Amino acid sequence: MTVPVVSVQNLSIDYVIGAGRFRAVSGVSLDVEPGHVVGVVGETGCGKSTLAQAIPRLLPEPPATIGEGRIIFQGIDLVQVPLWKMPRIRGTGINMIFQEPLNSLNPAYRIYDQVAEAIHIRRVRDKGNIVVDHRPAAPFDYSQRPKQDAGEALTRPIIPSGAAAQVARKATGRHGELRDEVLEYLRLVRINDPETILNLYPHELSGGMRQRVMIAMALSEKPTLLIADEPTSALDVTIQAQVLTLMKELIDEVNTSILFISHDLGVIAETADELGVMYAGKLVEFGPVAELFSAPRHPYTKALLGAAPTRYKSEGTLASIAGSVPNLSRPPTGCRFHPRCSIARPKCRVPPGPPLLAVEGASENHRSACYFPSEVAAIP
Amino acid sequence: MAERARRIGRSAILLWRVLRANPLTLVGFVIVVLIAGTAVIMVSVPHLLTSYGVDQGTVDYHQSPSWHHLFGTDGNGLDIFSMVLYGLPVDLAIAFAIAGVALLGGGALGLIAGFWDRPGTAGGIASVVIMRITDIFLSFPSLILALAIAVSLGRGVWQLVVAVLLTWWPFYVRLVRGETLAVKHLPYVMAARAAGVTEGRIVLRHVVRNVLEPVIVYFTLDIGTVLVTLSTIGYVGLGVNYPTTPEWGSMISYYQGAGLITSYPWTVLGPGLAIFITVLAFSLLGDGLRDVLDPRSRRVLAGNAGRSSTSPAEQEEAAEEVQQEVLELPTNVPAAQEALS
Repeated sequence: MTVPVVSVQNLSIDYVIGAGRFRAVSGVSLDVEPGHVVGVVGETGCGKSTLAQAIPRLLPEPPATIGEGRIIFQGIDLVQVPLWKMPRIRGTGINMIFQEPLNSLNPAYRIYDQVAEAIHIRRVRDKGNIVVDHRPAAPFDYSQRPKQDAGEALTRPIIPSGAAAQVARKATGRHGELRDEVLEYLRLVRINDPETILNLYPHELSGGMRQRVMIAMALSEKPTLLIADEPTSALDVTIQAQVLTLMKELIDEVNTSILFISHDLGVIAETADELGVMYAGKLVEFGPVAELFSAPRHPYTKALLGAAPTRYKSEGTLASIAGSVPNLSRPPTGCRFHPRCSIARPKCRVPPGPPLLAVEGASENHRSACYFPSEVAAIP
Repeated sequence: MAERARRIGRSAILLWRVLRANPLTLVGFVIVVLIAGTAVIMVSVPHLLTSYGVDQGTVDYHQSPSWHHLFGTDGNGLDIFSMVLYGLPVDLAIAFAIAGVALLGGGALGLIAGFWDRPGTAGGIASVVIMRITDIFLSFPSLILALAIAVSLGRGVWQLVVAVLLTWWPFYVRLVRGETLAVKHLPYVMAARAAGVTEGRIVLRHVVRNVLEPVIVYFTLDIGTVLVTLSTIGYVGLGVNYPTTPEWGSMISYYQGAGLITSYPWTVLGPGLAIFITVLAFSLLGDGLRDVLDPRSRRVLAGNAGRSSTSPAEQEEAAEEVQQEVLELPTNVPAAQEALS
């Protein structure tokens, strides 16, 4: 059994707003194995983005608070790490791509400066000092990356010593080898004419180009875990396909671990190895993508798959799930899906509801939070 | 070295294009450059522009404006034009000192109050303290407060600077805090955080740069406002000692107090005109500065200026070329395949 890159254990996140408090994520456990792509799907408001941002501790705390649970990353519990130390883990340890490519680049700086900043951060971390004639090996073979110990990373200073900073300044010349590495990464994400792109401002690029630059920036830090929070949602369909193709190619090339958040089942089916399905703050099913798509073991997964529009069918209305998403400040007792579930029984209403357990007759890591996983197949 | 020279050259061309696209800004820019040049000359070699020293009388008393005395002379034989010129660096220095210190001090406080404003944290408490003190200062009419402080401190350049400064910084706190609040929630700040950039560096590199645009514009417009406020304080007789220290507001106050305004109006007309032109120039420049500082509008302006340099004939030629290429394209599919293979 390999050690997972990140292990989220029984994580609960509350939002405290005024006197009210509601649980956006309750008791989610999720492992990302090295080199795997784990997808998380769910409706808007199911807590998937909150989960994604909680792992690198990017949630604004307050109003968000981590109620309970652990996030084990490279042997340490990120929940216990003071926030001011988190920058040392972010970037090179856990990096993130966001869903707003239009605003995720600083409008005031050229593309060169932004990618160079990311590369610079990684160099400072990697070496503890700066090696000037470092040549990038692109594509970077992530499997060769020395396993970094996060605990050790925390003891390292964020800012290099004065001398190292001086060398760094010299190395950041517009024509130095830093420029070469920036170009290297822009080529890695298939940007045409990167020499011109270097000197442009973000507003001069299209949404797809900006997202490519964001991906280049994230990869240039060579993160152990990359969290992609709906990276293609804000793009139109053709650009979405391009970026997705790029990501799929890069996943093979860079061999990194990715947590992929999306509400689009098609996107997940194309990229992920394992898939987690979230509903109303809970992980209701987790398993290998192919098996989850062919034989879902939770009624919600089944309904979600049924609601995905198919391309070549024009007759009839779009399928939907009856009922609506529950209010998280007063979630249904027991299984949260029971008011909308066609196979619900009185048992489902009793708190605390079904735990996420391994399913009999399925893959080893296929788990479902339903009392009757064998009956799901029979739902029309 | 050569690279640096080239970059400065490129910036100069860009500046010229932006200014050309915006004539009023150009006017403001030219006047500000002239004013700055005059101020430098008056500080270093005043005899290039005037033949009189500060507070040096002539034998001409109460002369109306002439080629010899452009703005006339006063009852002591002082040449008004010379005194206005001597007042220029004094007024500019005071205005820049006040607005500059207010910008740096108030701006820093505004950044802190805006960026670390989360309630329940140490920063949140600091933010509340800063903002409440700012509110207290803002709740007084600033001119009245400045006058009160000026009265208690007495006359003089430093007293004047302190009096105005004490009422001036809160506006910068409020402006910078507002801009910071808007910027810090933008996705690129979150993206920088996710990339492992430390909070301090996020503030200094990502927030400050994006707050800078409106603040610099406000600062330039503010120079004019400070000048008017200075003159107002000088006008009610609380400014500096004229004629030992030539300052425009005090100058007007002095001549008006001496009852010269009705018989010899040029004594106040000169300094009044100087205040008017200076304030106008900075206002015009400030309006146009936004375009220069914002990469978005900067490129658009520069791009437009660049495009207009292509003559219509050239454009026509290019269009014909494209048309020719289109005509030469194979029209049927087999031919196209052949051409491609």
